[in-house]
Amino acid sequence: MSPADLPVGADVAFWVFALAAVATGYRVFRTDSMVRSAFLLLASFLNVGAILLLLSATYLGVALFFMMTVEMMVMAIFMVAFMMNSAGLNPMSMTHRSGRAAVVGWLAFAGGAAVALAGEFPDRPLPPGTDVIGTLGEELLGDSMLTFETAGVTLLATMIGAVVLSSRRSRFGDEAGDDASLPPTLDPETGEYPAGVIAERSGGHGGHGDHGGHG
Amino acid sequence: MSLEAVLVVAAALVGLGLWGALSQQSIVMVLMGIELIVNGAMLAGGGLWAYAAGGAPEGQLLVIVAMAVMAVEMAVGFALLVALYRTRQVDMTDGLTSLRR
Amino acid sequence: MSPALHADVWAAPLIVGTVLAVGAYLVAVLDAAATRVVAGTGLAPDVLIEPLRRAALLVVQQRVVTERPDAASWALAPAAYAGLAAAGLAVVPWSPSFSVADVDAGIVVWGTVESLAVVAVFLHGWSPNSHQPLMAAYRYVAVGLSCLLVSMFVLIAVALPAESLALNAIVDAQAGLWNVVRHPLGLPLFAVVALGITFWGPMDLADGADLSGGTSAEASGSQRLAWQGARAAMLVSFAALGSAAFLGGWHGPVLPGPVWMAAKTAALLALLVAAGHLVARVRAERFVTWCWTVLLPLAFLDLVVAGLGALP
Repeated sequence: MSPADLPVGADVAFWVFALAAVATGYRVFRTDSMVRSAFLLLASFLNVGAILLLLSATYLGVALFFMMTVEMMVMAIFMVAFMMNSAGLNPMSMTHRSGRAAVVGWLAFAGGAAVALAGEFPDRPLPPGTDVIGTLGEELLGDSMLTFETAGVTLLATMIGAVVLSSRRSRFGDEAGDDASLPPTLDPETGEYPAGVIAERSGGHGGHGDHGGHG
Repeated sequence: MSLEAVLVVAAALVGLGLWGALSQQSIVMVLMGIELIVNGAMLAGGGLWAYAAGGAPEGQLLVIVAMAVMAVEMAVGFALLVALYRTRQVDMTDGLTSLRR
Repeated sequence: MSPALHADVWAAPLIVGTVLAVGAYLVAVLDAAATRVVAGTGLAPDVLIEPLRRAALLVVQQRVVTERPDAASWALAPAAYAGLAAAGLAVVPWSPSFSVADVDAGIVVWGTVESLAVVAVFLHGWSPNSHQPLMAAYRYVAVGLSCLLVSMFVLIAVALPAESLALNAIVDAQAGLWNVVRHPLGLPLFAVVALGITFWGPMDLADGADLSGGTSAEASGSQRLAWQGARAAMLVSFAALGSAAFLGGWHGPVLPGPVWMAAKTAALLALLVAAGHLVARVRAERFVTWCWTVLLPLAFLDLVVAGLGALP
């Protein structure tokens, strides 16, 4: 079913999804609660996925729902783990140079919209009755096999890299990565430690030194 | 629902993402801005595939590669965040000062 | 997209709603029966009325109010969970000519249903703004996401012999041999995934008694009834998917298609509910480790077996 054959209701649906995607995308950066911010981004993605479904890209739309849900779920957990104000109880302004950033954002939108409205695109709509999923499958594993395999190897490298970067082990043995990393400070700006922490650490290092020397 | 409408919406998402990525201090929020940019790019790719490419399968392939890019960016971004936090206690971009003069 | 809606637009919610309501009641009855059998008090006819009595009690019970919850998410979480169960059930075919929504990418729709279900459980635990639900929601997400990966491979393995992602085609392809025989690893893995996503029985890390009810710790009254109804509905949908994908769907000798489908769904449902009473609850870290080191390689093996079987 080509996009040109859709009933009038699809037009209304498209504008609803489009406005919702932009509105939730904007609210991502304006809300105070971090979990809500992650799920608002998910809502924006779900709306874009719905638009892709309206464009007859069936597999792409549903796969977008699937992937983005999992990504945003993981992102919500990371946000709560790493951000100071995860519950959003005290509004904080965590922006810098927001004026210049807004100018850049508007320029990007203006440029893109200008290209969209003034540019000449060929009018070759999707032929009705194409087996969208079948042609995608044949393309992925046929002519574009190299691209697909490269993406696969890139993802494998990413997996290995992510595990290595965040692993607690280091070259100096299990759990030494934990020892080598600094404990949380009292005050992130001045970097002062609670009393007794540095003494413990030097004691630990002394222990390692004793172990190293053949006594 | 014409090609122009889809592309304008995609441009809006890219603009929003750029604004967010440049203005937010927290690294996680910068990642979210980048995700919005790739989101807009995927929408533009899907729109062009449906209206201007006659359903050529390479259009769908582009969107799938963009999804893989998103996955890679998120995974490496969070791994870097974890590594940074363990050694330096920073989770804000303003805290990464080692290359500052 | 060619969603050939074989049912009229008004009939679809009616059919799905009826099946889910009957199925949820059946789950409650089976659960009560299993409790009595395991406890040794013996079955009695009032096991049919007990779920209705408990539901009536919950309807009149007062709703608990916590301090500054996210009221919208808290109220919507059971509705979202039930809606996802309905969406999943809608793509399952009941006979060669009837399915509520015949979507080309039915298997991927189920992947979406499962991942959004994990999000719904997380929201149900995060929104009351209370400790136990929040902890339960976090530990459940680890289990849920791990089960999602296993589910993806198992469902793709089912799609291989059919050479299509649509559930209609998958059931058609089982005309000669059911998938449970073709890839024997599939159904046990699928049962683990079903228990994990519906956090039932051994995988009840989201509503577990060790966290005084987990995400339902602050839910009472109609909220609690809605959540338990949604969980039962999701079990029914998973049982329906399992019968379509592994047990041959509407294939069967004498009786018409929908009757066989209902019978297989009921059998799988009984198995899943019984597992809740016969298997001890797992520990979250242990299960996640086991899932990634044992279940995921088994799922790969299942995929390889399916691929080899599908080679011409």
